[in-house]
Amino acid sequence: MAREQYLQQLDLLRESMFSLGEIVELAFKDSMIAVIDLDVKLAAKTLALEAEVDKLEEGIETSIFDLLALQQPMASDLRLVVSALKITADLKRILGLSMNVAKIPGKIEGGHIKPLTDTRKMADIAIYMLENSLKAFKTQDAELARAAAARDEEIDKLFYAVWVELIEMMAKDTSIISKATYLLFLIRYIERIGDHCCNICESVIYLATAERVKLN
Amino acid sequence: MTEAVQNVSQPQIQVENLNLWYGEKQALKNVSMQIPKNSVTALIGPSGCGKSTFIRCLNRMNDLIKDCRIEGRVLTEGKDIYGPDIDVVDLRKKVGMVFQKPNPFPMSIYDNVAYGPRIHGAHRKDLNGIVEEALHSAAIWNEISDRLKSPALSLSGGQQQRLCIARTLAVKPKIILFDEPTSALDPISTSRIEDLIINLKKDYTIVIVTHNMQQAARISDYTGFFLMGELIEFGQTRQIFQNPREKSTEDYITGRFG
Repeated sequence: MAREQYLQQLDLLRESMFSLGEIVELAFKDSMIAVIDLDVKLAAKTLALEAEVDKLEEGIETSIFDLLALQQPMASDLRLVVSALKITADLKRILGLSMNVAKIPGKIEGGHIKPLTDTRKMADIAIYMLENSLKAFKTQDAELARAAAARDEEIDKLFYAVWVELIEMMAKDTSIISKATYLLFLIRYIERIGDHCCNICESVIYLATAERVKLN
Repeated sequence: MTEAVQNVSQPQIQVENLNLWYGEKQALKNVSMQIPKNSVTALIGPSGCGKSTFIRCLNRMNDLIKDCRIEGRVLTEGKDIYGPDIDVVDLRKKVGMVFQKPNPFPMSIYDNVAYGPRIHGAHRKDLNGIVEEALHSAAIWNEISDRLKSPALSLSGGQQQRLCIARTLAVKPKIILFDEPTSALDPISTSRIEDLIINLKKDYTIVIVTHNMQQAARISDYTGFFLMGELIEFGQTRQIFQNPREKSTEDYITGRFG
């Protein structure tokens, strides 16, 4: 087989993407546990992941620029490199949003204003979407990507329901505005993470089929 | 083959079931292709795949090769160029060719360009205009307009190649075939020829054989991939280079073999 070094670089890019995906997934899951349980220790541990992700992301970007400049990838190789670049940006945003989530426990004292049942549901769906969009990237499975993205609608519905509920609660009792506002931000972060998962699914479909679709 | 290429409404060149043998050896196997007008079509594939043999069928250059046998049809403007009433000299006026190594005649720049029009009976008074126009179209006029009487062989390689293109343009062809036109040139001369080819497609239909896949990707609208005498895949260039349908095309353009 020709171009040994090039093929190794592509494999390395794939591996680094998988590692990035794993850390971002961990950061999101832990940040959600931390915010629901108001676990400040776990939140701090989660916040510490950012530096590691930055380093990984920088390495991935460098290898993508090198591949484009020096190897001129074509066909499915080109699609891998382009989708890796886009997926990296989405993962970086998901990490940023998870960091925002992890900062909330430090700001809420004395428990939440309400049980976070629907918020937890939103988070579970978002985690499902993230896990499966990354799995679809690994296996280049366009169908799985479509299935994962399809669940974004459920998140959006829950988002509006919780939004209305919180606004009504604040209208009735102004003393909870501060805590309720953090929860408004929280559901917004989860909703945005769902959108970024859809973007990842779009990139996976392009990678697998060269088809460009809008799932959001 | 993509729909878009399969159903070209007015192909400039239509190749139907072309087979070619050099003695016992079959070099082209049942090749069919529709080449759209005013487009650049690139032919790629490893050495010995048949792409040069194919392009040479388009102006009957293979007629000159001993033991070469051809079956099938090549139509331009609806007429089979292998038909009995075809004048090969007239055909080669309509289908010009530029080769890998610049091959100017050992005469002046002017006479190189005027050579074709003269043998095709152009009037002496029209010659100056024809020569100037051809040199303009080949993007070399500004560099050599003050030394038209100098020997063509005094030009650089890149200039010689553009002179050869001017020589081809001077007889007003419909189709220009390029067989590896830049493989002997440096990157700057190569870029000039590539720009020129892109500009020329306004007025001509262009078919280019190239070993340089980036070149095919940069300048062509359609790409055909040949392997062992067969046309494996033919489609829009952006499709071939982003999402080839055949595994062997993918393997070739990603450098996994060849």
